[in-house]
Amino acid sequence: MTKDFHQLYLLRIGAACLAIALTCQFDAIANPITDAFQEVQSLLAARCFSCHGPDKAESGLALHKQALAHAESESGLHAIVPGKPKASELLRRVNSDDEHERMPLEGEPLKPQEIELLRQWILDGAKYEKHWAFVPPKRHSTPVVEQSGWVRNPIDTFILRRLERHGLRPSPPAEGRVLARRLYYDLTGLPPTISELNNFLSDERPDAYERLVDKLLNSPRYGEKWARHWLDVVRYAESNSFERDSTKPFAWKYRDYVIRSLNEDKPYDQFIREQLAGDELDEVTKDTITATGYYRLGTWDDEPADTLQARYDDLDNIVSTTGQAFLGLTVGCARCHDHKIDPIPQADYYKLLAFFADVTPYAMPRNNDVKLNSLWDCSPPEAAQKRERLAQRENQLDEQARKFEDQAIRKMSATDQNRSETDAREELLQEKIHKYLSPKEFQEYSEIKAQLSSIQLQQNELAPADWVLSLAKCEPNPRSTHVMYRGNPHVPGKEVEPGFPELFGGATANIPPQSGDARSTGRRRVLANWIASPNNMLTARVIANRVWQHHFGRGIVRSASNFGRLGSPPTHPELLDWLAFYLIDHQWRLKPLHRLILLSNAYQMASSADPSGLAIDPANDLFWRFNMRRLTAEEIRDSVLYVSGELNEEHYGPSIYPELSQEVLATQSRPGHDWHTSNRRDASRRSIYIHIKRSLIVPEMLLFDFPETDTSCEARFNTTQAAQALNLLHGDFMQTQAKYLAERVVREVGDDTLAQLRHTLRLVLLREPDSQTLSECLDLIGTLQVEHGLNEHDALVQCCLMVYSTNEFVFLD
Amino acid sequence: MARRDFCNRTRREFLWETGAGFGAAALTGMLDSDGFFGSAACAEESLSVETTPLYPKPTTLPPKAKNVIFLFMYGGPSHIDTFDYKPDMVGMDNKTVAVDTFGRGGKKSQGRIVEPRWQFKQHGKCGKWVSQLFPHIGCCVDDIAFLHSMTADSPIHGSAMLMMNSGKLISGSPALGSWITYGLGSPNQNLPGFVVMLDPSGGPISGAKNWSSGYMPAIYQGATFKHEGSPVLNLSRPKGTTRELQRDMLDTLALINQRHMATRSDNSDLAARIASYELAYKMQMSAPEAVDFSQESPSTLKMYGVGRKPTHHFGVQCLLARRLVERGVRFIQLYSGGNHIDYNWDAHGDLVHNHSKHAGETDQPIAALLQDLKQRGMLEETLIVWGGEFGRQPTAEYAKGTGRDHNSYGFTMWLAGGGIKGGISIGSTDELGSRAVERPITVKELHATILHQMGIDPNQLSYFYNGLDQKLVGVEPVSPIHEVIA
Repeated sequence: MTKDFHQLYLLRIGAACLAIALTCQFDAIANPITDAFQEVQSLLAARCFSCHGPDKAESGLALHKQALAHAESESGLHAIVPGKPKASELLRRVNSDDEHERMPLEGEPLKPQEIELLRQWILDGAKYEKHWAFVPPKRHSTPVVEQSGWVRNPIDTFILRRLERHGLRPSPPAEGRVLARRLYYDLTGLPPTISELNNFLSDERPDAYERLVDKLLNSPRYGEKWARHWLDVVRYAESNSFERDSTKPFAWKYRDYVIRSLNEDKPYDQFIREQLAGDELDEVTKDTITATGYYRLGTWDDEPADTLQARYDDLDNIVSTTGQAFLGLTVGCARCHDHKIDPIPQADYYKLLAFFADVTPYAMPRNNDVKLNSLWDCSPPEAAQKRERLAQRENQLDEQARKFEDQAIRKMSATDQNRSETDAREELLQEKIHKYLSPKEFQEYSEIKAQLSSIQLQQNELAPADWVLSLAKCEPNPRSTHVMYRGNPHVPGKEVEPGFPELFGGATANIPPQSGDARSTGRRRVLANWIASPNNMLTARVIANRVWQHHFGRGIVRSASNFGRLGSPPTHPELLDWLAFYLIDHQWRLKPLHRLILLSNAYQMASSADPSGLAIDPANDLFWRFNMRRLTAEEIRDSVLYVSGELNEEHYGPSIYPELSQEVLATQSRPGHDWHTSNRRDASRRSIYIHIKRSLIVPEMLLFDFPETDTSCEARFNTTQAAQALNLLHGDFMQTQAKYLAERVVREVGDDTLAQLRHTLRLVLLREPDSQTLSECLDLIGTLQVEHGLNEHDALVQCCLMVYSTNEFVFLD
Repeated sequence: MARRDFCNRTRREFLWETGAGFGAAALTGMLDSDGFFGSAACAEESLSVETTPLYPKPTTLPPKAKNVIFLFMYGGPSHIDTFDYKPDMVGMDNKTVAVDTFGRGGKKSQGRIVEPRWQFKQHGKCGKWVSQLFPHIGCCVDDIAFLHSMTADSPIHGSAMLMMNSGKLISGSPALGSWITYGLGSPNQNLPGFVVMLDPSGGPISGAKNWSSGYMPAIYQGATFKHEGSPVLNLSRPKGTTRELQRDMLDTLALINQRHMATRSDNSDLAARIASYELAYKMQMSAPEAVDFSQESPSTLKMYGVGRKPTHHFGVQCLLARRLVERGVRFIQLYSGGNHIDYNWDAHGDLVHNHSKHAGETDQPIAALLQDLKQRGMLEETLIVWGGEFGRQPTAEYAKGTGRDHNSYGFTMWLAGGGIKGGISIGSTDELGSRAVERPITVKELHATILHQMGIDPNQLSYFYNGLDQKLVGVEPVSPIHEVIA
């Protein structure tokens, strides 16, 4: 192995990082926290730390800690004299015209605004402030506002307070149709039907909107929509990636677990405990076992070149994902070195990793048998035990048979040896093995095979197993965990025990001793309890922020999985704390939090622009209006199916396989392999049920910014590409759905063209079509028939396809 | 039904009038520069710099090359049977030697020698020894720099492919082509910036993971491109949809979208999406135009081996690669071989059969590509990369036969064009070709060289993700292979 690979995660700050750090500078609007130090630190890290930082302290000066930075350097001078920029050598040197004196010695001189940033910071005392996220949340009282008439609930006071300070007014309320469409998509991922919309619009009760919120929160579609947000974060997929990209059996049960948990409004702290330690809880149920599928979702190399490295890569994937998903921390950065910006020493990474020491690999390398480590039979104990015994016996016999087979294969021709590595192996053995074994050996082999057949018969007679992808096997006595030198698992350093990161105050983890027959170490339960504690300063903030993010299009902290210094600061820190406590005070249930957010006036604002808002706060950091958004990949596909009348709303169950074109399948090394195309009815199920094969993502998902499946995704991209347009215009899926929509329209309103068009537009756009649009569509129908010779129905189909492509359908106000 | 007369207002005029209002004029000139569309058509262009991630970006170093063609010999060609001349092995067939190897069959410390199965001959002014597998490429050696001491981190296809394509052994990172289009954009917005062409037998193992944009937006991912059928996914209009019909449909769509946008003019995503439909419309012209060989002379077609077995498929792809380079496509990757085992260079069974087949398919087309680019003056700005994810062992994999297992300890790749010195060879393997001994070269150095030639500082090109400045070449500084840079 080359050295470089092990150093992958070493954090280096290059010029490009500086660019990022600088573009992350937020003006006073974005950054209510007086965290000038965050910018200063980014600057120091980018330009100074390489000589005056954690690794090197040239001339006795290091700038990464306050005490060192304020100290006298070897030259007898003080780089920084708090409050006195003129006396500070650092400022003199960055300002110097003499290129031998000017700092930094390498690269461009600092820009005037960077020097000014440093000057101001020194003038203010050059304090190394604690990062906002590493200070526990406070219970803030709701702020006092002037236009109290606008306030519907406490959220509004936090929003309005900042708007008022900047002389901004909240946008007017969105009109009923817009609000209903927004709410339906946000909570269910689908639009309302025309009658649902009309019912809402004609409901004159004062609490009509509140009733709608409650109705949708109680819809099973809510879980189907919101589960996907969580699946993005835990990089959910149903195959292993790498050469064979084999299917992870029953991964879908984890997906269903997430949907169910959300629909049942399972407290989030419980949701955490079940995923991290569902097998170690006081009450272990099928549900909590399924939750530990969390550990089996990542990529897995069934044929690693370096087994130990692969093992640590898998663990890293778990540590990194856990850090980001639950704590909003990029602890993965500390795999090889101390984190350069956040206070996460390398040892913290390995202390966290030690909590997962009993997590067995997904399967043993070079062996696709997932059962042993990752499948848990949840059928009644008696049947499960019998099955287990048979499986053990089967394994033994398999091993014995394999010995004879390998012995014979070694003597075969190269061509046959090659064949033995393909699907033709069994055929080959039946045909030729007797030639390469002595009669006695062959007899023995045949007996083993006969016993195997008999076991298979017995297995078939048992009721089918209830397999669950999970942490089926643990290592109760794992080897010690070490800090790996530069992240290289072949160079173990100091031993560490499971422990919590220093930045949380350095509390030690007390792992209760386990009984002799324990199946696991009990460490993960300790970790889960610590994360799921109301006293953990990040957990509640991180999830409250995610809930906000998916209602408002961005989090209060935009970098939803990175609350560290390299993340973006919160635009409304006090609101974030307030929401976090609200969640904790409501037994960690998400639905009350959703409800509060959705009932706020902040959520119900129009998205239209206002000149003063655009002038003062173009990025809408203050939430003076609602952010428009494009529908997600799932929302587009599901809505198309829904509107065409094809959507099959069956909930839960094994994944589905939409039909893929030959050109898509041709990208596989075995075109069509492991893709079990579903029938029309199944293929019309909601997108959350689509099988996620890492190397073969369905184009309708991939093109519309479905997240990369191998690492945690905090927020999806929002790209606009010609390939999307081509897919919507030419793709088989859209072509077919446009036909179904046209058929539905004819079925519902008959033959009159004008009525057909009006109905199409109403169904897709959810409004009475304006006369101009209607007349343009009518023109189009005429052109299609007269100039292009289409019959009435085909012209309508084309029109349906066109309307599905409108921005109005694809964007939410 | 109430049939109305065809509305004779010209929608297109209307569209252009309104469409010109919200676009960024800056791009018009750029789009025009591709020479395929007149300025009138560009007037409706509404893409802006912010909404076009593929907008061309300045290079950070003076660029030597503008385009890359990566000829990926998937499966791992045997270096000692192709370009790494081992005369001392002749006569050693079937002798057992002590040699450390590591392949899919694990680590071994001795093996049975399979001596090179082809004669070698000297070629060119530089006198390079090349095996008879590549008589045509042999004629081009004075333009080629051979890297005989390549090393990779894995001798297993899955991870080694990812390593060669994305610099990492694990999936989820952007491919080389993604990094280049991310770093440089693409001069032709009517074609993808990163194109992949596959073998008729299927993709390489791990399929699309090999051209994934990983944690970058999907716009940087490779687009598979074909000569037969629809060149890019969903490009072909469905049966019954003519270009004129679609124009009328898109015109109506644009009218509706314009009205929707009128009250939302501050949202540039809406304009970008309108523009994307026009781009999609244009791509239907530009992509088929790129794959249309009707203007190619018969001698050109003959040179690439088009229309003849066994060179047809790869010949078409090489010719297509040249045409895509002419049209500004940044990064083109061609796969020789697909599927598994003998459908690609993965010669575990019968080495002679396997390599004869794949060399026979590719030798003439590759040589034609080099010569054609050269005669058109394009080779100077086009970097050609040839090689697989690893090489093969000097010893036999099985007790019988000539099959060789994988070898990532040492293998050969070569570069040509794009500011690379011709007629040189650097690095070497031991006398058996079992491992690199002189100046071992890592995949990262190869990547650094490619980026460097494209005018990108490999140690500066970064993408912030997961709390880190991710780089193709990793976090430790990597130098390009200076010896091969002209």
